[in-house]
This record gives sequence, structure tokens and C-alpha cells, in this order.
Amino acid sequence: MVEFTLPANSKVLPGKIHPAASSGGGRVRRFAIYRWRPDDAENPRVDYFDIDVDECGSKVLDVLIKIKNEIDGSLTFRRSCREGVCGSCSMNVNGKNTLACTQSIEDYVGEIKIYPLPHLPVVKDLVVDMSHFFAQYASIKPWLQNDAASETGEQARASGQSAAGEQLQSVEQRAKLDGLYECVLCACCSTSCPSYWWNGDQYLGPAVLLQAYRWLADSRDQERESRLRQLADSFKLYRCHTIMNCTDTCPKGLNPAKAIAEIKKMLAGLD
Amino acid sequence: MSLKTRPLSPHLQVYRLPLTGLISITHRITGVFLCLALFGVLGLGAALAGGESAFLAAQACLAAPLGQLLLWGSAYALAFHFCHGVRHLLWDLGWGFDARRLDALAKLELAASAALTGLLYFLS
Repeated sequence: MVEFTLPANSKVLPGKIHPAASSGGGRVRRFAIYRWRPDDAENPRVDYFDIDVDECGSKVLDVLIKIKNEIDGSLTFRRSCREGVCGSCSMNVNGKNTLACTQSIEDYVGEIKIYPLPHLPVVKDLVVDMSHFFAQYASIKPWLQNDAASETGEQARASGQSAAGEQLQSVEQRAKLDGLYECVLCACCSTSCPSYWWNGDQYLGPAVLLQAYRWLADSRDQERESRLRQLADSFKLYRCHTIMNCTDTCPKGLNPAKAIAEIKKMLAGLD
Repeated sequence: MSLKTRPLSPHLQVYRLPLTGLISITHRITGVFLCLALFGVLGLGAALAGGESAFLAAQACLAAPLGQLLLWGSAYALAFHFCHGVRHLLWDLGWGFDARRLDALAKLELAASAALTGLLYFLS
């Protein structure tokens, strides 16, 4: 459903200001960070942290870790690899979704506003509930479906031939997976999409559709027909109106909109 | 803690729509506007069939500043809707997805619809 405004319990109020710890002469930048905790019935708020960025690593994630270590230990966010391959620290920074670990502070001027990924239930601070997103991912059966492969593989193992069960691809067939396999499922694209905001209960969204195309484009997969049948749905696929926010925001430089267009072409018999 | 009390994270309130995103919503708005403008076209047709006095009244309405604004606003809306429609056709063929060229193509669309409106003006 299209709802342009936030529900009453989600309206964001101004919060605390944490001034810079010392006047050491370093460059101080202000970070406005979305806060909400489940412990009381209060609305979300935005806290302000003035940070000397000369005493800190160069990425947005470095600032969050510095705040958590030195100023407010209750600040909550997801992070793991700190190099853009785990997809945990996705968030909205200055109006665009990105991975905090690969995003340089220097890319912004003025105050840096950090919000959770848009239009999802907030668990705490910058941590959002992504269970629906991952359930949608599971629904497209994100694995290679090829019975022949497992049979020959088992036969090969039984007869002690290790390589006989391999499914070989030509260089061209393999190249079709470039720009698809790199997706880390951070959900930056899906949560940047107004169509996903309004119809995310049924629309699969750019991330899951890019993954769906990753298996459709795989020469080794045998279930292309049933995968396409599942996607041929006015909500699951065709809520994509080529708004292009997904391609604009992808922190890995991938092109979910293009992948969705390729699925539409397959269904129209244009590929 | 019941799940129902979890707040919804801000969306339109914080997201900075890129140019192509803004153009996408403008396409929808101009579509709705053009549907309404069809009633105007219908009114003009009725005035044409209604004899000299009705025709003169319609002409006076269109010549007034508000009438001119609506007329040329509709012309630009039509030209823009047409240009973005062409872009949708190209997208459906799998062309024009390069992220680095999205903004340039969006500006081209805006310029092309202004040029089409200008062409209509000189032909009228």
C-alpha cells in the first residue's frame, strides 16, 4: 500500500547532541544518527555526534565503531567483514543506500545523516528486520537445479573418478554470470525502490530478481521454464517500473534493473 | 516486546531520489494530468460543434493567461510523456541501463521534450 507518511510511532524526533570530546584542532564533522530502542515506548530520535575525523578511520563504518567504543556503547549496527563482501553494514547515508564499510567520509560535505535501510521494521538503531527479504530470496530457489549433474557426480564418486561429474561451461556461458554472482544481498537496492516500499509484501524487489536472473542465466541450470513460470506474475516481477534507484544505489556497481529487464525479455520471448 | 510496536524506518522522508527516479514519478504525474487534459480536448470539440458563440467563448478561454498556461503545460506534459515512453520502450529491449549514462539520458529527455514543445509552438 502506498503510504507517503510514517506511522505515528515511527515519526523521528530530535535527540541528544554529543559535542566533540576535545578541541585538538582536528577536523570535526557532525554525524546525525537514527536511534530507536525497544526498551520503552518512545519514538525514534536522531542523535548528533561531533567527531574529529582526523582521529578516526576514513570510512563511515570507522566512525560508527569509534562512537560505539568511545561515546555511546549502546549504538547498535550490523557489521562484519569491513571490506564490502559480507553485505551486513548496509544503511542509508545522506539519502542514498550504501555499505558503511566502503563509503568514504570524504565523499560528503557538511553534516552526515545516517539512517537504517528505508521502509523496514527497525529492531534497534540501524538494525532492521530483514526476515521477509531473505524469505523472498529463498522463494526463488537460489541454487543450481540439475539432476543430471548429481547423478553423474554420484556415479563418478562411486567409480573413483573425481572430475567426471563436472558441468563444464564455455567462456561465453561463464561470462553471463559476471555482474550477477558478485551480489552480497545487502538489500541496498531493494530498500531504495519505491515499488518495493509500497508493494514489498508481494513484489520480489531488485535484489531477489537479480538473483533469480543469476540462475536463469546459468547454462548448467535445467529449471529455466519453472523459474520463469514462477516469476510471470504482475506483482512478483512486473511491479518493476524501471525507476532505476536500484542501479543508482548498488554499492557493488551491479545493475539489478538490467537483470530485471532481461527476465522481462525472456518472458516476452525477446532473448 | 511485541513486533507490532517496531517503528518503520524513514523512506520518502530521507531518500534523495536521483534524477531518473524524479523523472519516473513525473512520468506518472503527467500521465494522470494528460487524462484530465482529455476532458479539455473534449470541451474544445463540443465548442467546435456548438456554433459560433461557443467557439468564440472557447477561443477566449484559451487566449487568457490561465488558458495559455494549461495549453502549453499540456503540450509539454505530452512531449515529456512521449519521450519517457520512448525510453521505456528502449529499456524493454534491454538498452540504456548503463549507470554512468542515466543522468545524461534523463537530461536529454527533458531537453527533447522542451524542443518538441517549441516545435509545436512554431507550427501553431
